[in-house]
Amino acid sequence: MSGDGPGAAGTRALERLVGFGRQLRARGLPVGTGRILVFCRAAAALAGGGGLDRDSLYWAGRVTMVARREHLAAYDEAFRAWFPDAKDQMLATVGEWVPKTELPPEIEVVLEEGFQEESWRPPSPEEGGEEALVGVLASNAEVLRTKSFTELTDDELRAAHAVIRSLALELPTRHARRWRPSPYGRRFDQRRTLRASLRTQGEPFRRAWRDRRRKPRPLVLVLDVSGSMSTYSRALMQFGYAAIRAGRQVEVFCFGTRLTRVTRALRVGEPDRAMREVAAKVSDWDGGTRIGASLKELLDRYGQHAFLRGSVLVLCSDGLERGDPELLGVQMARLGRLAHRLVWVNPLKGSPRYQPLARGMTAALPHVDRFLPGHNLASLEALCESLG
Amino acid sequence: MPAGEGAGPGALPVASVEELVTALREHAYLADHGLATAIWLALALDKPLLLEGEAGVGKTEVAKVLAELLGRRLVRLQCYEGIDASQALYEWDYSRQLIAVRAAQLGEQGVGDLFGPEFLVERPLLAAVRAGADAVLLIDELDRADDEFEAFLLEVLSEFAVTIPEIGRVDAAHPPAVVITSNRTRELHDALKRRCLFHWIDHPSVEREVEIMRVRAPEVSETLARQVAAAVARLRAMDVATRPGVAETIDWSKALSFLGAVHLEPETAAATLGALLKDHDDLQLVRGRLDQVLEDL
Repeated sequence: MSGDGPGAAGTRALERLVGFGRQLRARGLPVGTGRILVFCRAAAALAGGGGLDRDSLYWAGRVTMVARREHLAAYDEAFRAWFPDAKDQMLATVGEWVPKTELPPEIEVVLEEGFQEESWRPPSPEEGGEEALVGVLASNAEVLRTKSFTELTDDELRAAHAVIRSLALELPTRHARRWRPSPYGRRFDQRRTLRASLRTQGEPFRRAWRDRRRKPRPLVLVLDVSGSMSTYSRALMQFGYAAIRAGRQVEVFCFGTRLTRVTRALRVGEPDRAMREVAAKVSDWDGGTRIGASLKELLDRYGQHAFLRGSVLVLCSDGLERGDPELLGVQMARLGRLAHRLVWVNPLKGSPRYQPLARGMTAALPHVDRFLPGHNLASLEALCESLG
Repeated sequence: MPAGEGAGPGALPVASVEELVTALREHAYLADHGLATAIWLALALDKPLLLEGEAGVGKTEVAKVLAELLGRRLVRLQCYEGIDASQALYEWDYSRQLIAVRAAQLGEQGVGDLFGPEFLVERPLLAAVRAGADAVLLIDELDRADDEFEAFLLEVLSEFAVTIPEIGRVDAAHPPAVVITSNRTRELHDALKRRCLFHWIDHPSVEREVEIMRVRAPEVSETLARQVAAAVARLRAMDVATRPGVAETIDWSKALSFLGAVHLEPETAAATLGALLKDHDDLQLVRGRLDQVLEDL
């Protein structure tokens, strides 16, 4: 063994390790050559000239080649597939090809040039799987963007939800009370100018400016979950979920015949679990619609809360009011006074023949700042832009 | 491997992962095999260690214990929104410079070198670079800092050298051990992650949490510790908005034990629940289901 380079068993061990790194890459984890190299060094350091147990190898790989919690499950699966046996011959020989942390220069060559595929290599997805996957997504993206949510298959809908979660959310801001240094500020900053002048022997060579701090306005989503609206509302709920994850001040409500606050349910972990929580909380999925009464409940119960005043409020509904349209008009006027901006998302507007003639819609429209469709990805993107 | 990189396990005071686990335990920190491996590899390979996990799982504690264990100085850089180089690296002591200028004007002494080392205010990163291998650098809650700061940090972490125009270059002969923590309020950049070893710290298992309580709060009886750990595990599985960390578990068991509890009873549990849950909605949720939490402990 040693200084002159790995023996035959050592080379095989090295190839197994490097192969594992590539396997991870094939499964879509961002594992570059650098990380694989660090992994090999880590395995060698842990082996310390002797053998290595499977558990230690697991941790060596996990610590060096995974950088996101979401990738842990994929890593575990790959590890089980690649090193299925605790009595693996290779594990016993790892320490032989490297004294301590020193790696033979050959490893660079191995990494650069690749090596012969071995018979033990499990059937794997094709190399470059990551790129291939991205390619597939990209080619479908255009179709996905313009197709209405109701026409998407389950798989497509899942892909669409992933896209929605990635939509950049820029909310309008408001002035906060405090000041902050800003090179483009409008006010002269005497204090900082003076302090900076000391650096240049008392000469106010650089002038400093300051500006008001700005805070993003709260976002309130009020989603109709009745009948035909539920598909669209689910899409917007993904949007709300993403906004909450992004650390925004977001409140989400659902309504059909009555109002339910689902902010808390959305705050838990994974999106799918959050959606299940929401589904459990909302009792009237696919019921009728009483928009006016639901909005009244929102205003009566939460009107004094900080999140409604000065917020950006997005209401998603088809506007087919079963209750009293007059009540809806009054409540919309109240909301309009309280919120900074009132956006009505009506998926029916996606149809070119649609005219807002329903009595509820006509009562509400005068108080609405923006009236948008939102029936597909493209229109949700437009919604995002109009929020900013 | 390039010269000067990596002290190798030989130079470490702990020769193996098992020894590290024992040493950590002696300093009242109970690490599982995964975390110990991560720490040991970070030391052996000279890589920064990035720790992520929910609040209160003991991320910051790792750096503190490590400094103690290695007999090194702990240099802590607490990140916050808007932190910049002058708060992280160095700044000139302007008021002292001003006084020196005044003194020179009055003819009492020469101006000397206004930008000499005596006017330099050392901030954590410079301190860590100067201390080199004698320090453990803790960069706490990096997710709170802005992207720009992260980019700047990346520069410092890859070189471990700081150039001060007026003085010159400060180099670390050997880089300090670096522990970075993040609560994951935002995703850190891949460029930074690529430089680090990554470990996700989960909430501990019931048995481990009992052990931790026994070490950190010896006054708590074994039965109580067991019941508390089991109850907290159930609580974490419920849909509370903020899942309690280990620190909260310890606080709760201490509070219970201070009130003389030997077993977990519904009345004392309800009265002390505030030590565990700090969110009004969570408190209400759990108070309503307390029987369920305490059932058959």
